[in-house]
Amino acid sequence: MKKLIESAVEKGAKALSEYDAKQLLSSYGIPVTRETLVQNIEEALAAARAIGYPVVLKACAAELMHKSESGAVAVGIRDDAHLREAYERVAAATDIALQGVLVQEMVEGQRELVVGLNRDPQFGPCVMVGLGGILTEVLKDVAFRVAPFDTAEALEMLDELRCRDMLDAFRGQAPADKAALCEALVAVGRIGLEHTAVAEIDINPIIIDPRGRIKSVDALVVLNGSRH
Amino acid sequence: MTSPYETIPLYPLANPRSIAFFGASNRYTAMGTNQLNSILALGFEGAIYPIHPSESTVLGMQAYQDVQALPEVPDLAVLVMPTRLVAETLAACGRKGIRHAIVVSGGFKEVGGDGVQMEADLVAVARRHGMRFIGPNCLGVVNPHHRFNVTFANFEGRPGFIGMASQSGSLLTQMFRYLEQFQIGFSTGISVGNEADVDLVDCLEYLAACPHTRVITLYIETIRRGRRFIDTARRIAARKPIVAFYAGGSEAGRRAAFSHTGAMAGPDRLYDGVFAQSGIVRADSLTELFDFAWVLGQCAIPQGNRVIVQTHSGGPGAAAADACSRNGLSLPPFAPETLAKLRPLIPHTGSMNNPVDLTFSRDPMEYFRSIPEVLLQEPGADSMLLYCFTPRKNVMRIMQAEGLSEEEALQLAAQMAEEHSRKLADLVRQCGKPLLGFSYQNAEELIIRKILESGIPILPSPERAARALWALVHYGRIQAKLGA
Repeated sequence: MKKLIESAVEKGAKALSEYDAKQLLSSYGIPVTRETLVQNIEEALAAARAIGYPVVLKACAAELMHKSESGAVAVGIRDDAHLREAYERVAAATDIALQGVLVQEMVEGQRELVVGLNRDPQFGPCVMVGLGGILTEVLKDVAFRVAPFDTAEALEMLDELRCRDMLDAFRGQAPADKAALCEALVAVGRIGLEHTAVAEIDINPIIIDPRGRIKSVDALVVLNGSRH
Repeated sequence: MTSPYETIPLYPLANPRSIAFFGASNRYTAMGTNQLNSILALGFEGAIYPIHPSESTVLGMQAYQDVQALPEVPDLAVLVMPTRLVAETLAACGRKGIRHAIVVSGGFKEVGGDGVQMEADLVAVARRHGMRFIGPNCLGVVNPHHRFNVTFANFEGRPGFIGMASQSGSLLTQMFRYLEQFQIGFSTGISVGNEADVDLVDCLEYLAACPHTRVITLYIETIRRGRRFIDTARRIAARKPIVAFYAGGSEAGRRAAFSHTGAMAGPDRLYDGVFAQSGIVRADSLTELFDFAWVLGQCAIPQGNRVIVQTHSGGPGAAAADACSRNGLSLPPFAPETLAKLRPLIPHTGSMNNPVDLTFSRDPMEYFRSIPEVLLQEPGADSMLLYCFTPRKNVMRIMQAEGLSEEEALQLAAQMAEEHSRKLADLVRQCGKPLLGFSYQNAEELIIRKILESGIPILPSPERAARALWALVHYGRIQAKLGA
């Protein structure tokens, strides 16, 4: 993982691609979507069949920090025909040279959290958890801790959220796997401590599925080239 | 024999036996003269050596031309002098063998430009001579237990149990009188200034060890040694409560963020996390900072969040109940045995629900003793809020109607106030639960003053009482988490 980050920094990248970001998270035990990086439609079809429809397609490049705004994402792809049509569109959505196209499982779930990392000049790496999705910055329902911290501290972060009741049994859905969430928070802090080149992380959203399992659906890792 | 407390680096800074004072003269308007006067006014018992280049006496004391001429090596040097002279004066103190200093002078890092380098020079001088110093750009230290007050304000108050480290110096001095009205006071207050050497973390270590300090308060604008601050506070908070007020922070200097996380990492939300992680009770206002310190220093820590409200007036009682529920405190119903004991004490117009509302207090003896005694024994409650209001004129009128002269009535009222407050305090101590009073009357009222003197806090409103009780409950949770 150190190599992955170092080579991105050497290339002058401001961020990791979503695929690389998820590799990093996954290597720290943080649950991420099942996904495959493909270079052509044949690989995309094979990947979609292996993952199982419905799937999501995303253009993948380090420079693409805000994919959904540029039409580089297609969700809810139901079958091969739909995939062929969407693939053309996503691959051509941007002029940026792509690392490939991500074929990703479509995660169902109405509960969305954001988990992140930033660096404070006095405290160093700080981990955030909050209400995710499009309302994140409107409601600003978030809690912070300074890394390192343990899972007991992480559990307290969840308890500080105004949306905490959403993590219990909620509208016919199972309670969220809080233990997994807490471990993810601790792990994000460890990434911050162990990789000084990582400036910021956004995992937004982490979706809690109806059975309570958590999965990182989108991830951004901002690099700290100049201060490396 | 020296206790571990006396070996703490800050000990001589707050408990000097002797002081070399730079910057006082016979000119009463000078800052330094004011500060030396503060030291004299509190009756400092050690030796004071004013240093002055031309005067032979300063404020009636023998003055010395330079520090080398002093007959002994003082514990502490206090420097209130022009910025450009500070570093060389500190160096002279170092050569004399002085190891502790308070640098009041400003004009250093806080003004930028040359000040930054001058502050670095100051630190270099201190390191070279193995000195520890508070400041620059501070108001110094007050330790009423040692009759030591270097701040420019006369100390008007009592030696108390509130330790404070403040990034605002004058705030400290303005609280002298403020705390006195509640019959409480500072154990030691430290104005940290620019924190070029001694910082908040050092102050935490000192106040944690200080036997007079029962609760530590912090006024914070920025924390410099982040991780160290968290670890130190967390270690202390298990056995001594820490309360902090954070006065916002500049967003400037923080790098522009690409992520949502970065965009939302405003200092205020981050500090919420830092305080939680440190085991620090966060006060939302300066008023709360001292309210929380007051009750944490005087009350038992409740086992849980269940509270009984006793009142004889509907409005304040309902307001207290409402404020409690907004602060996550619950008002439980009473056990049958409590109701049985309560029945003969409550008038038929009153309410035996929670809040207990007498509507009319027949007898202060019942109000301040018999009823709290029953309520404090309620097994389903952890704490109590007691509304205090005594219409003194009415009481006097009744006593005079029964044939007492005004003087006799006054004397009897004083006797009763003394007796009730003492018994109430005994009751509270024995049951091990916190009881907070709340009132719109203040210490000018005899019974209020007597209760305050007995060590029971009376907050100036139902809302402040409920918040203060929340702080006690919250600290109980912090202790449980930190494994105290």
